[in-house]
Amino acid sequence: MQRPEDSMMTPLTSTSRFIQADDDDDLDEEAIPGFSHPGMPVTPTSAVSDKGKSRATEQLATLSEGSQHPRTPLSGNIGSVPNGAPQSARQTVGGVRVETRQTGVDTLDEPVTTTIGRDLLSIYTKLVQVLYPPRGGASREVLRDWDLWGPFLFCLTLGILLSVNASASQSLGVFSSVVAIISSGSLVVTIQAKLLGGRVSFFQGLCVFGYCVAPLNVAALVSTFVHLIYVRAPIALAAWAWCVWAAVNFLDGTKIEQQRIFLAVYPLLLFYFILAWMIIIQ
Amino acid sequence: MEEGPEGLQFQSFLETDARDSSGGGVNSQRGYIPDRPGKSSFWNVEYYQPYFDIDTKTVFRRCYLTLIPKANYISNHLSPADLYGPFWTLTTLIFSLFVFSSLASSIAAYLSDPGAASPTNPIEYDFGLLSTAFGLVYAYGLGIPILLWLGLRYLGVGEWSIVETVALWGYGQFVWIPVSLLCVIPVPILRWVLVGLAFLLSGYFLIVNTWPILATADQKAVRLVAIFLVLLHAALALCFKVLFFSYYAVKEIGPKDPIPDPGPTARAF
Repeated sequence: MQRPEDSMMTPLTSTSRFIQADDDDDLDEEAIPGFSHPGMPVTPTSAVSDKGKSRATEQLATLSEGSQHPRTPLSGNIGSVPNGAPQSARQTVGGVRVETRQTGVDTLDEPVTTTIGRDLLSIYTKLVQVLYPPRGGASREVLRDWDLWGPFLFCLTLGILLSVNASASQSLGVFSSVVAIISSGSLVVTIQAKLLGGRVSFFQGLCVFGYCVAPLNVAALVSTFVHLIYVRAPIALAAWAWCVWAAVNFLDGTKIEQQRIFLAVYPLLLFYFILAWMIIIQ
Repeated sequence: MEEGPEGLQFQSFLETDARDSSGGGVNSQRGYIPDRPGKSSFWNVEYYQPYFDIDTKTVFRRCYLTLIPKANYISNHLSPADLYGPFWTLTTLIFSLFVFSSLASSIAAYLSDPGAASPTNPIEYDFGLLSTAFGLVYAYGLGIPILLWLGLRYLGVGEWSIVETVALWGYGQFVWIPVSLLCVIPVPILRWVLVGLAFLLSGYFLIVNTWPILATADQKAVRLVAIFLVLLHAALALCFKVLFFSYYAVKEIGPKDPIPDPGPTARAF
């Protein structure tokens, strides 16, 4: 009889258990910046923010064994992962560097709403980390698990909000130019930070700069209903300042030299300002 | 310019390309790029890092020195050439053209009819201008120098690198940024004067720095390229004026504009 603990300890043989390690990560792991929130419980959100690809098969194996032996108490390693954080382990298998993660959360036979809710919760957690970074952050785990769902969501929201208000002949153009500006802009800004010698993982940069668009969403929502320029302009400018501040906070950790930090920040100013301007004049 | 702890040393500036100067160039001593792993491939980000190895002060100096056009800009100030400045000068120009022309049009609309900008009847903005500006500026600022470099290379004039050409053209368009800001003022004669001034400044800057390269060609006919460049530059200036600086209030201040606002149909492409 194989107990669940044993199944987790078995040597890694099946390739379906692996996800390939992030290429960028092995550059300089410790230098990649991130944020932490002391008051925020790490337990459920960071545990689930990585995708369930690798977990599903493992949990399947565990479960099927458990169901074959219903008397076996399912109290093994599953729940006893310290802090519930994903235990990521790296090793080289057949010349390929792989990473395995154990989370102890069963994701196979849960309702779809739970899965979606968990993804939304992880987007929310990252949003808080990006827009309200705590001082002197120690743990950067939340932002290490980048995703592009959040940026995609904010990009679409901003495009829709702006195109709703535009006239019928221009709404399509507004939507497509907002989406094009956000996607190509964050791409260019990330590459720029890398070119200037910043130690930043490519997709992490994309993720963070995408999340930084969120305050502009709020400004766009407000200006959808309030058409007074005296209200719209200050709100949009404040949102712009917030975006830039959050993005600069992130760039601070990328070890760009002091004489060049303005060169890295300037594209951000430009990128977010053009979006803020589109909100003001919509 | 910081010197390393080893103090002064002789440097050769004959090879001004940033990639070639990895041994004793200006930038390698700043230590901005700590571990350059030899030659990296064309598709890597690291391949382009030498062209972005520049600090804020240098970029600003290269920008404002284009306002005082002098010969030998390439050898005096662009060694080694960077790509940060040209790219962001052009991108800033695109956005400032769009921002200031929409600002000017809203000012013009407000001056002509203050009641028009009510919540029920908002002012129309032309977002097509943004893509027009993108196409125009990138085609002129990136396409022309690359074509010129390729053409001169074909004719056997290879005195400069492609990065220097792009940098020269990119920095050369810097003057349009303050001009686009000043053209918000709805006075036709002032706008024409500003655009003409900017055309003369940047045109002179480009020609005076391209001429020595053209003059090294064996065939005298190559020098006629300079006329072609001037014509292209004049076309660019006219495009800027007509497309982006043509919004007026109903009551224009000063003499009448010979080329009035082309209207939404002409601006829509």
